[in-house]
Amino acid sequence: MTEAAAFWILSAVAVASALVAVRKRNLVHGVFALLVFFAALAGHFLLLLAEFLAAAQVLVYIGAVGILLLFAVMLTERVTGEGRRIMIRGSIFGTLAAAAVFFVLIWPTLSMLKSPEKNTHALTTRELGERLMDPYAITLEILALLLTAALVGAVAIAQGRLDAPEKEEPK
Amino acid sequence: MSWELIRDILITTVPLLVIFPSLFAFTTWIERKALARIQNRIGPNKTGVPCTRISLFGLGQPAADGIKMLFKEDIVPKGADRLFHLLAPIVALIPAMLVLCFLPLEFPWAKFVQAPVQAFLLDGAVIFFFAITGLNTLAVFMAGWASRNKYSLLGGMRAIAQMVSYEIPLVLSAVVAVMAAGSLNAAELVESQKTFWFVFTPWGFAAFVIFFIAALAETNRSPFDLPEAESELIAGYFTEYSGFKFALFFLGEYIAMFAISGLAVVLFLGGGHLPFLPLENAWLSSAVFLTKIMGIIAVMIWLRGTLPRLRVDQLMAFAWKFLLPLSILNIFITGASIKLMATSTTYAQPGMFGKLIQDANLPTLALLWLGGIAILYGAAWWLDNLSRPTARPRQYQYAE
Repeated sequence: MTEAAAFWILSAVAVASALVAVRKRNLVHGVFALLVFFAALAGHFLLLLAEFLAAAQVLVYIGAVGILLLFAVMLTERVTGEGRRIMIRGSIFGTLAAAAVFFVLIWPTLSMLKSPEKNTHALTTRELGERLMDPYAITLEILALLLTAALVGAVAIAQGRLDAPEKEEPK
Repeated sequence: MSWELIRDILITTVPLLVIFPSLFAFTTWIERKALARIQNRIGPNKTGVPCTRISLFGLGQPAADGIKMLFKEDIVPKGADRLFHLLAPIVALIPAMLVLCFLPLEFPWAKFVQAPVQAFLLDGAVIFFFAITGLNTLAVFMAGWASRNKYSLLGGMRAIAQMVSYEIPLVLSAVVAVMAAGSLNAAELVESQKTFWFVFTPWGFAAFVIFFIAALAETNRSPFDLPEAESELIAGYFTEYSGFKFALFFLGEYIAMFAISGLAVVLFLGGGHLPFLPLENAWLSSAVFLTKIMGIIAVMIWLRGTLPRLRVDQLMAFAWKFLLPLSILNIFITGASIKLMATSTTYAQPGMFGKLIQDANLPTLALLWLGGIAILYGAAWWLDNLSRPTARPRQYQYAE
C-alpha cells in the first residue's frame, strides 16, 4: 500500500517535471526540472530495492550531468526571455523518432510482463560489485584507462593552443 | 502505513533534527569566541539569560541572533527570479540534513525501535553520502543565478568550480578507508576500526589529511572561502540574501560541516570508539562520536583564524596538481600494503583489517610503515617542487 502510493507520487512528479523540462522557455528552469525528473527516477530505483543504482543515478545524473548542463546553459546567449522560441519545424520526424525509441524500449518490458515473478531478493551493493567486477575487471580497467587517455589528450590539445604564442617570445 | 513504522521513523530522525541544529547554535558561539581570542578581542559577552544581568560568557548570543534573523525584512531584489531565490536556501539545507542519517550514530533510544529503519544499514551508505552532498553545488548555483547580481553569479560559478574540483580528492581519499575495511557500509566501517583506527597507518593518515583539506573546500570554509570572499565579492552567492533565508544558508553550511566531519570520523577516526579501546555503551559511544565531530570543527575554526585566503589559480592548481596525484598514489600504496600483509587470498571481507594487523609480524609492519611514510612524503615533496617553477606571481591585466 505504502509502496503503491510512493510509486504513483514519484511517477506523477516524474511526468510533470519532464513536461516542465520540455515546455519551459527559461533554460535554467528547464535544467532544474530535468534534475527533479532524475531525482524521481532515483526514487523509483529505491522502490525497486536497487539502492546502488539509485545512488549512482543521483551521483552521475544530478551531480555530474546537471552541472555540465548548467555550464552549457551559462555559455549560451539569451538564457531567458519571451523572445526565445521552441522550434516546431520538422516536428513530425521528431515525433516519429521519439515514438520508435519509445516502442523499442517498452517492447521487452511488455513481452516479459506476461510471467510476473516477484523477486524479493534485494541485490546488495557487495553482490553487485562481485558480479560486475569479478568477470569484467580487466575490461573495466582498460576502458577506464582509455577514457583517461582521451581526457588527457583533450587537455593537451586545448592547452597546445594556449602555449603556442608563448614559445615565440624571445628570452 | 502502520503506526509502528511512523513511530520508528520519528524515533530515529527527530533526534538528528534536534541535536545537530542545537550543536549549530553552540558552534556559532564557539566560533565567535575563538576567533575573538585569536584576533585579540573579547567576542560576545553580554547576552545571557533574558531580563537579568547574568551573562554566562555570552551564551545567549545564538538565541539573540536567531530572533534577529527571524524578524529581519526579507528583501528580494528587483528582477530576481523569485521562485529560485526562495528555493535556493531550502535546497541548500535539505541535502545537508539528509546525509546526517547516514552517520552510524547508535542512539541509546534506538533499542525501542522495532524495524531497523536506520539509513546507515544501507550497504552503499558512503556512495549515498557523496551523491547527496554533491547536491549542495546546485543550491549554490541556484542562489547565485537567481539573485541577478554580478557578485552573486561570480561567487556561484567559483563555488561550482571549487566543489567539482575538490570532490575528486575527497572521494579518492575515502576509497582508502573503504579498501581497508572491505565495505561501503558505515556501520561496518566503524566496526572494522574497533581496535585500530585507519588514521594510525601512514596511508590512512595521508588520506585523512587530504580528506580534511578537501572537506574544507567542499564546505567553503576558510582558507577555501573564495565563493564568499567578502573583500572581493561582498558575500558571494548570498550577497542578496537577508533575514531568515540567510539564516537557512548559514544553518545549511554548518550542518554540512557536521556531516562531512562525521564522515571523516566514520572513515578514519574509528566512529564511536576510543583509540585501542572499543566502547559498547550506546550513551558513551554517541557522546564520543559527537565529541570527535566537535574536535574537527574546532580545528576548522582554528584554521579560519589562522590562514589567509587562497587565490583562484592557486586553488585549482592545488586540487589538480597536488591533491589528485597524491590521492591516486595513496590508493596504490594502500592496495600494495594490504596485499603484502594478507597471507591468504581472502581479501575485502568486513573486519579483515584488524585481523591483518594482529596477524602480521613486526618487521613486515615496520617496513610497510616506514616505506609508506617515505614514499608519501617523497611524492608530496616532488609534486610540490614540480609545480613550483611554473607558479608565477599574478600578472595584472587591467591594473598596476
